[in-house]
Amino acid sequence: MSIVACVKWVSHPGEPHDERFAGMSMADQSALEFALQQGELLGQPVTVITVGPAGADKVLRDALACGATRAIRIEAPTTAAGTDVATAIADHIADAEWVWCGDYSLDRGAGSVPPFIAAHLGAEQALGVIAVTLLGATVHATRRLDGGRRELLEVTAPAVVSVEGATARLRRAGLQHLRSAAAATIEVMPATTPIHRAEFMVRPYRPRARELPAPTGESPLDRLRVLTDAAAASAARGETVHLAPADAAARIVHALRDWGYRDS
Amino acid sequence: MSTPDVDVIVVGAGPAGSCAAIVAARAGLDVVLLERGPFPGSKNMYGGVVYPRILDTLIPNWWEEAPIQRWVTRRSTMLLTDTQALTIDFRSEAWGEPPYNGATAFRPDWDHWLAGHAEAAGAQVLTDTTVVGLIRDPGGAVVGVRTDRPDGDLRAKVVIACDGVNSFLAKEAGLYEHTDAKHYTLGVKETLALPKEVIDERFAVRDRHGVDIEILGCTGNVNGGGFLYTGLDTLAVGVVLKLPKLAAQKKRPEEIVAGLKQHPAIAPLVQGAELKEYSAHLIPEAGLTMMPKMTMPGMLVAGDAAALCLAAGIWLEGVNFAMASGMYAGEAVVEALQANDTSATGLAGYQRRLSDTFVLKDHRKLHRAPELVLSDRVQHLYPGMVANVAERMFRVDNPHPKPGLRRILNEERKKAGVRRRDLLRDGWTGFRSFG
Repeated sequence: MSIVACVKWVSHPGEPHDERFAGMSMADQSALEFALQQGELLGQPVTVITVGPAGADKVLRDALACGATRAIRIEAPTTAAGTDVATAIADHIADAEWVWCGDYSLDRGAGSVPPFIAAHLGAEQALGVIAVTLLGATVHATRRLDGGRRELLEVTAPAVVSVEGATARLRRAGLQHLRSAAAATIEVMPATTPIHRAEFMVRPYRPRARELPAPTGESPLDRLRVLTDAAAASAARGETVHLAPADAAARIVHALRDWGYRDS
Repeated sequence: MSTPDVDVIVVGAGPAGSCAAIVAARAGLDVVLLERGPFPGSKNMYGGVVYPRILDTLIPNWWEEAPIQRWVTRRSTMLLTDTQALTIDFRSEAWGEPPYNGATAFRPDWDHWLAGHAEAAGAQVLTDTTVVGLIRDPGGAVVGVRTDRPDGDLRAKVVIACDGVNSFLAKEAGLYEHTDAKHYTLGVKETLALPKEVIDERFAVRDRHGVDIEILGCTGNVNGGGFLYTGLDTLAVGVVLKLPKLAAQKKRPEEIVAGLKQHPAIAPLVQGAELKEYSAHLIPEAGLTMMPKMTMPGMLVAGDAAALCLAAGIWLEGVNFAMASGMYAGEAVVEALQANDTSATGLAGYQRRLSDTFVLKDHRKLHRAPELVLSDRVQHLYPGMVANVAERMFRVDNPHPKPGLRRILNEERKKAGVRRRDLLRDGWTGFRSFG
């Protein structure tokens, strides 16, 4: 098992209680498309995996119809916590070289599963990617940074890559593949570790309100630029630091607190 | 010649298509049911009354599982003028008990449910797949369909076209001699949300009982009719409009619906409702006049694709005709494949079944009704005439004595500009159709 696409059977935001509208998010479709393209490039089979109830077989069959060669569903409720989902997936794809995911799911939006999978596998990670170039043994990925900047990554296996929804358009399945996928076997497996219910945060992710001074500038355009921070976008306001993982995590938490995203 | 991939391809997972697939699959045939929407019913906007008695044999006790909104226990026919309303209202508690009569239903739910039975019977339901054309052998017989998917050709011994009112397959096969806009109406519908308790109170119903109101005289200068149906916590209100008249009047259909909702007899019923949905759809209303040839070598046509919709004033039925024609198409295909004969002769059992049952018997009996109901006199003269007669009959005009009905009728007929011989002719036509 070397190329894996992780997909999620997710309800439609407009019809959250109607399974008929549930399916694969655009981000997961992009991830699947890159996995299939990489499979073709490297001549390797593509495994598609999901964590969910029986209804989730639909997205696996869609993936099989598009060209995936193997489908695995880890039995779990839709309310499973992201950390447990990542653990369950990682336990079943321990030998994966490339893992493709959508950047975040439509229903939760935390984007936590891909980095957790990477952590479990000890793999490189390129998260929230907006452009991908497949180059055989490596992948060039572009990430969006604040202020309109971009980060260019050269990714080598083993790696987890999570992509935004607009990065690729999933191919249309051929009719004969669609027919055979409908009858294909889905490997249903139990989770290897307990699955807990996700705890949802009722407060939206946003910083505390801050008092801002009135923008300065001669013209409305100048003031608008100050307000939107566009003028400062090109200025190098960030800093690059090299820290041990624990110190880096502490630094991030400190920054989040400083910016008002965390209260304690 | 290529080997067929399957025995039967059914195009369109509406009521006709799913019923055809159920029958064929239960007979052990290899059936593929193709649907262009993401799920059966997803493309449908119908929110009217379904009469499912025909399902008694196909799905016994269907009422225990069918996704209905309300059982229709009140049927009203309403004549409107700008300021008047005359209503004939009937209610029957028997229609609110098994085996029931009609029910309001959302077709996305209904079609999804029926397609589930087709799948359970063994048919393979493939969604998001649009059929774009027919595959024919050198002799012209249909041997499969072409879809919009890569590698999208699918071959079969028989194709059942249930692809709806604008059936591209029936037209491509040349089964329609001609199509004319005057044979179609445009149905437009608003779905309005109201709490169930409010609907119960306004329409004088309880539990799952509901109301079907058919309305004449509510479409201004455009020939047509109106309707108001009760869902569980929604109302479906809309109009059906004759296409050429609509085009000639250059009116927007939503304006006509808005006018209906503002009528003094309708406004209190829909007051305070929240608009949830607006949709429109063509309806094949000309009955026998527009029906295509039902079979050709390798293909049958059923449902709206075969113009099997009964629009005869007091009867507005389509889903039951679709389900029945689908069932009969399925039976005929089973018979033809058992005889290994999918020629026009081999598939003739379909036309025979349609002719021997209500499907074509009702259409034959009522073949004059659509034209009568949509005629200018019935649309624009009679509602006002009848409403005025009723108003004068019930008006107490003392010290004048009560006038006789004959005198009122005669005076109102003349005032409306209706010639006696036209009235008699229309009455005779109506009697022959409905009598």
